[in-house]
Amino acid sequence: MLDFDGRVCILSAMPRRVLLALAGSVLFGALGWRPAPTAGPDARRSPLRSLVADQRLYALERDNGCLDEPVGAAPQAWPDWAAAHITGGDVAPSRVVSDPYPTLHSVAVDAEHDRVVMTDPNRHAIWTYERTAASKGKDAVTALAGVRGPSTGMMFIAAVALDPQAREIYTVDNDIGDRMMVFPYDADGNVKPTRVLSVPHQAWGVSINPARKEIAISVEGPREIAVYAQNASGTDRPLRMIRGPRTGLGDPHGVVFDGVNNEIVVANHGNQNGRQTAPGTVTGGRRGGGDGAETPIVGGRFEEPSITVYPGEATGDVAPARRIQGARTGLNWPMAISIDAAHNEVAVANSGDSSVRVFRRTADGDAAPLRVIKGPRTGIHGPMGVTIDANNDELWVANYGEHTALVFARAAAGDVAPKRILRNAPEGSPTVGFGNPGAVAYDSKRDEILVPN
Amino acid sequence: MIAGQTARVSRTMHGLYYDAKHDEIVVPVALGGAILTLAGGANGGDPPLRVIQGPRTGLVQPDTLYVDVLHDEIVADSGNDSVLIFPRTGAGDIEPVRRLGGPKTHISNIYGIAVDAVHNLIVIGNRIDTGGRNSQDAILVFNRTDTGDVAPRAMISGPRTGIIKIRQIVVDEDRGQIFATIKNNFENYEFEQERPSPWNPDKTGFIGIWSIADNGDVPPRGVIKGPATGLVWPAGVAINPASHEVYAIDSVSNALFMFRVPELFRRMETR
Repeated sequence: MLDFDGRVCILSAMPRRVLLALAGSVLFGALGWRPAPTAGPDARRSPLRSLVADQRLYALERDNGCLDEPVGAAPQAWPDWAAAHITGGDVAPSRVVSDPYPTLHSVAVDAEHDRVVMTDPNRHAIWTYERTAASKGKDAVTALAGVRGPSTGMMFIAAVALDPQAREIYTVDNDIGDRMMVFPYDADGNVKPTRVLSVPHQAWGVSINPARKEIAISVEGPREIAVYAQNASGTDRPLRMIRGPRTGLGDPHGVVFDGVNNEIVVANHGNQNGRQTAPGTVTGGRRGGGDGAETPIVGGRFEEPSITVYPGEATGDVAPARRIQGARTGLNWPMAISIDAAHNEVAVANSGDSSVRVFRRTADGDAAPLRVIKGPRTGIHGPMGVTIDANNDELWVANYGEHTALVFARAAAGDVAPKRILRNAPEGSPTVGFGNPGAVAYDSKRDEILVPN
Repeated sequence: MIAGQTARVSRTMHGLYYDAKHDEIVVPVALGGAILTLAGGANGGDPPLRVIQGPRTGLVQPDTLYVDVLHDEIVADSGNDSVLIFPRTGAGDIEPVRRLGGPKTHISNIYGIAVDAVHNLIVIGNRIDTGGRNSQDAILVFNRTDTGDVAPRAMISGPRTGIIKIRQIVVDEDRGQIFATIKNNFENYEFEQERPSPWNPDKTGFIGIWSIADNGDVPPRGVIKGPATGLVWPAGVAINPASHEVYAIDSVSNALFMFRVPELFRRMETR
């Protein structure tokens, strides 16, 4: 699969291993799971051993010469416990639940250069495939390139955007890294990004407006859209921010900065925490997105999910120009969105009911979708990414709940099979779905382990 | 799998409690300023049985919680540097029955809460962001019914503890032992400041075990720590004393590890 110049870097063997498994919010019950036997040439290798070995990330990279600079063995920063009687120690786990394969989050297509790019928060990677790639039978497709490793600085990456003119890939960290990273199309392996921009914590969506040479980034907790110059880097501040109680932003996810219609389109889950949104004045020197000042406590709320639309130059606490919201919309955990300016439509990956919903771009209020792709024949399962390739009259879906990306006819509707399936793992490989999990509990009644994402 | 709009769950759920007596799952929703109680067998988009949410609750961005089944209470982080105690069956926009917070408490940024109903104690995994490895994070121990701005009865903190960026905690009430998740990294909130990298295994995290009677700058009595464990930045811990198992969830490797360690379920020697 990946070949980092013949060196055995972390990912070089990864697609041959059993992978363990969001960048979202799911509560899992993991009952009595044990690693399944591995298929393929490494079948004799214990998945557990593979996983544990994978944890020595930096050491492996150093040992295998994958780092840009030599790094001496840093002393472990531990207190002197030598004199203390401490039980336990360096204990190997008896069982592990994890997903050794990449988990697909967001998808972007460059029709001009015939490539499709997907983000992977599970293994902290970006994968590039030929646009027309498709699995034969049950097999996984080999990626053209994979960007992953310590030098990339990537952690829980979420959305992806492409600049076909500059041949650049943009992605944002949702957690731990809090950065936007830009890589050249030909990046492969453990490489440094060509440009890095510090962005607020919990960034999710990223979209380029080529007409304005600007980038829009959605941020979940602070409930804001930060707009930067496209060439911003380092600690550059946003040019403007859409934020405040009038905006209707609530736990925003997907964002599209529509260069044709000069609009910013946002998918919102509707969650409002207990504090009033910070004022919409431009800040951004802190990872929290605001200036650190506390706003009044107004109590949390669960609002209905929505798609909100703002003028491209909107700033501060502005009401949306349009808002798709209500029972007829069927919106349920709307994730990525994509605009088809040619046909005046907006598609949304509706993760909560495993569908893709297509609305009229100018729809407003409690509008029913024009089309819904949903059902067992579609193979759509917990979709996180969607993008419309108008040039080839196709619609791409990145499944988070399966190891697949699906390609449909652009105007597909109902319970239809995809035109092509791109697998990144052998068919039937389970997805665990963990994405930066933060807690665990034991259900003694069912002998199950609960994990919230 | 519990997921979707109607289930009301969101990201940033850093705590979780399974109530075996009432067969319920209780979880905080930081992004919605709420506490959800779900049926133990909930699945898909099943809506919560009860929701505590609203301006009277004092909940801002609750990160973690615990259920004191014996005294029928939910003990929760407010997301505003305080602990709030609600009736277990409470719902809607209700006021807490007790609030613990203020300068004497040292309560700052709560990432772990547990109740030891046997010893009548509340245990807090408390973080104070120093922007570096000079950690003031602590395990704070209060009397269960403490309220207002009161000093903790014990504070386990200091360089010998190894506590740097504490996360979820749980108490083995029968043996009086605290299991704490230690990420062993730190936060920087200004863009100009570099953050630690999870790719560096020289600063990996661990599970540490202390006695409920410990106080001060004392080493853990037990650990799960080292390269064989596979832990990078562990974020959560749960225990199953019946099978002598410790469950740890890792926020970097996206993995759930099960350790069978009978020696950690014996009463450890007194100091």
